[in-house]
Amino acid sequence: MIFSLSEIESLSRKAAKGAGHPWGVAEEAGKCARYLCAAGLPGAEALAGLLQAFDQRPYDECRPDCSATPWQAANGPLCPIITGAAICDRAADVADGQTITLGLTAHPLLLLPAIASASDILESGISIHWAGLTMTRMNRETWIETDDQAIRVAEQSEIIIARASSQSGARIRRSYRAEISEETREALNTLAHRTYAPDTPESRLSGAGAGLTDND
Amino acid sequence: MSHLDHDMPIAPRDPAVVMRLARMGSFHQSRLSFMRVLLRRMTRENWRFEQHLFDIDDRGVGRAVYCAHGPDRTYSLVAFANDLPPEKRSDRVIATEWDATFTLFDGIPTEDDINRLANNVPKQEAGRVSEKELSLSRANRSVRLWELVVDALSKGQQPDEAKVADVGYLMRTTAVYGSGKFGAADRESIADRPEFRAPFQVEMLSVFLTRGFVMDLVEHMARLRAPDTAVSLDPALRRRFGIGNSTGLGMAPFLMTHPVLINNWIAAKEHALARVRSLPTASDDEASLFRQFCTRAVIHATTWTSEHPVQIEKLTALRKDMAALQLHLTEADLTNDMPWNRLFLWAESALSLEGQEQLVSLLLEPYGRFVDGLSDCMYADEQESWRIDGAMQTSDLKAHIEEIYDWALKIDWSEKDANARVWYVSEEKLEPRIGERHDEPIEPYEQPLCPARDAVRMYHDLCACDANLTAEFLLTHPQHRHVVRRVQIAAQYPYAEIRDNTIDASMLPIDLLRAKLSFFGACHFDPRSDRWVRINMFQHAPFPHDLTADNAEGWTYPPLPEAAE
Repeated sequence: MIFSLSEIESLSRKAAKGAGHPWGVAEEAGKCARYLCAAGLPGAEALAGLLQAFDQRPYDECRPDCSATPWQAANGPLCPIITGAAICDRAADVADGQTITLGLTAHPLLLLPAIASASDILESGISIHWAGLTMTRMNRETWIETDDQAIRVAEQSEIIIARASSQSGARIRRSYRAEISEETREALNTLAHRTYAPDTPESRLSGAGAGLTDND
Repeated sequence: MSHLDHDMPIAPRDPAVVMRLARMGSFHQSRLSFMRVLLRRMTRENWRFEQHLFDIDDRGVGRAVYCAHGPDRTYSLVAFANDLPPEKRSDRVIATEWDATFTLFDGIPTEDDINRLANNVPKQEAGRVSEKELSLSRANRSVRLWELVVDALSKGQQPDEAKVADVGYLMRTTAVYGSGKFGAADRESIADRPEFRAPFQVEMLSVFLTRGFVMDLVEHMARLRAPDTAVSLDPALRRRFGIGNSTGLGMAPFLMTHPVLINNWIAAKEHALARVRSLPTASDDEASLFRQFCTRAVIHATTWTSEHPVQIEKLTALRKDMAALQLHLTEADLTNDMPWNRLFLWAESALSLEGQEQLVSLLLEPYGRFVDGLSDCMYADEQESWRIDGAMQTSDLKAHIEEIYDWALKIDWSEKDANARVWYVSEEKLEPRIGERHDEPIEPYEQPLCPARDAVRMYHDLCACDANLTAEFLLTHPQHRHVVRRVQIAAQYPYAEIRDNTIDASMLPIDLLRAKLSFFGACHFDPRSDRWVRINMFQHAPFPHDLTADNAEGWTYPPLPEAAE
């Protein structure tokens, strides 16, 4: 089914919250899926895969230790949403010439929007690379060189983020709609549903503050 | 806002004064309201309107299409009329059928398009629209007035004026969805069109055309009932019908979830006010125009009724304020010595919040040349403002909280009343609701709509943390990511944050609704409870077919008695 970008963002934000992320991190997950879908990349699929695999995983297990090289999680792969946010928060270091190397990371496609944001904030070219994929953002344009397998990889053991002065591959053109499979939509919906309070007769009557009929 | 504004002797008002809920809940429509921006543009650009299709049977069931032709593009309101049994008539989100449903179509729909829409638009949230549709909305009849008008017209009579004035509209919209909802086009995809750069122009155009459709429909139903005797509405009386709207809690979170956009709306109005207050003198014509608008605002305050105790009290105060203003104006010099600033300062001590905010809107009326251009600044690209600045020093982050949320730091958050409420979304049709934290099991579902409490929580964690950079702090405190974003936005955009506790036991959601609806251009706020309000839109406005440069401006206040003839 075809979705608008705001539907994708809203569903993804709620699904991330439902999977256990705090609202502020869930907001980044929503923006992340929106960005990837607008770039014609399978962002909603990657997010659904991540949230299902990491459902309710404690934050301290999957956040990066940013003082180590490479950045590592305490237990298992890094969460790309949390790691992307941390990269963006430290964007100035990359612009200054520091390279960030990530160890084992889940669904690395979900890192791409953070790289784009970091580049836009600092007005500096930044690239991200793993086996089979290089993405570069510069002058508010995104270039990607890849194959379908590298885009959809569920885990990747070495990822390098560095300042870039040239780009390669094809420029991404933005779109305003995205097709999402029934399976992905169902996965995100199931998680998002956890953020909705069960209906009760009391909340039905008082919660919205209006009566049930409108015959006047 | 503009380089001109740096030299103004009077600065825009302090956000700590403007962004209080009681004041926001007293905002009035103004020259910068989105309805007025829309009619101004359509007149300037000579938009043309036509009834493209009208096929509705004697039960009131059928379809209609109204086209609005702009300089580069055409937009069409596609309407589906229904014969709704009374037991199904509800203005809640949880309703499933309505008297009429609508979509604003990008272009002129083909028969295939209309057939596709006929299978989806009447279902509203349960249906699906496409990128060719820009909005989705529905409306219910005012049962009392509808039957009264059809009955009178079918007998060749005009409906009773007092009863028309009492309700003010024949149909109430109960939701007007835009931007990407239920598959519609995202705002981003049309934001570069000049006609949609100002906020909510799609929704306002849809409502403007809906009002025209509803009036055509009521006359059509009268003709079908009694073809030999039926008459049309008298044109002057016809204009006294606006289009109603019934707005519930669902609109309230918008003011908190779009901080940059809200800043830009309020900043535009506050800059407009500062420009007018800064004028050293006014001409006799400007002073006389202002007095005329004041007289019309008195009529408006008199005809505005409500049964809600809070609003009854506010209306009593407003009428008293308007009388005090009229009296003050009999003596006041409105032409010399910064006349508008003197008047504004007088009002600050002499009038209630209702009266003060009414005066703010009235002061802008004679000054289109200083005010109207500011509507270009009310737009926001929200995809550009949400990233956190991780390089910000935590000491700066703390200082921002001390400045913006100083009032919240003084609240005792362990008090039950201070965190009495929870904003949540019900699983039943995803209806937004608010509940009692200490009485209902809803806290696990809390939406992040309590920035004051969250900023204070973060402040205490910041004080106990030795991280120097926001990035370091957030790595170990991810629960504060949402509020870091807010604080950083509020530090940059002065009117982005509400300076009141949005989960306090005494908080009135209708204050949030009114603030937003006033920017739409709504009048006659009539709260039905603390979280649900009815309003009137486009009352006294020209209709699409008679919109001209002479009547596109200044229609929002009721006409003076002699002008209504």
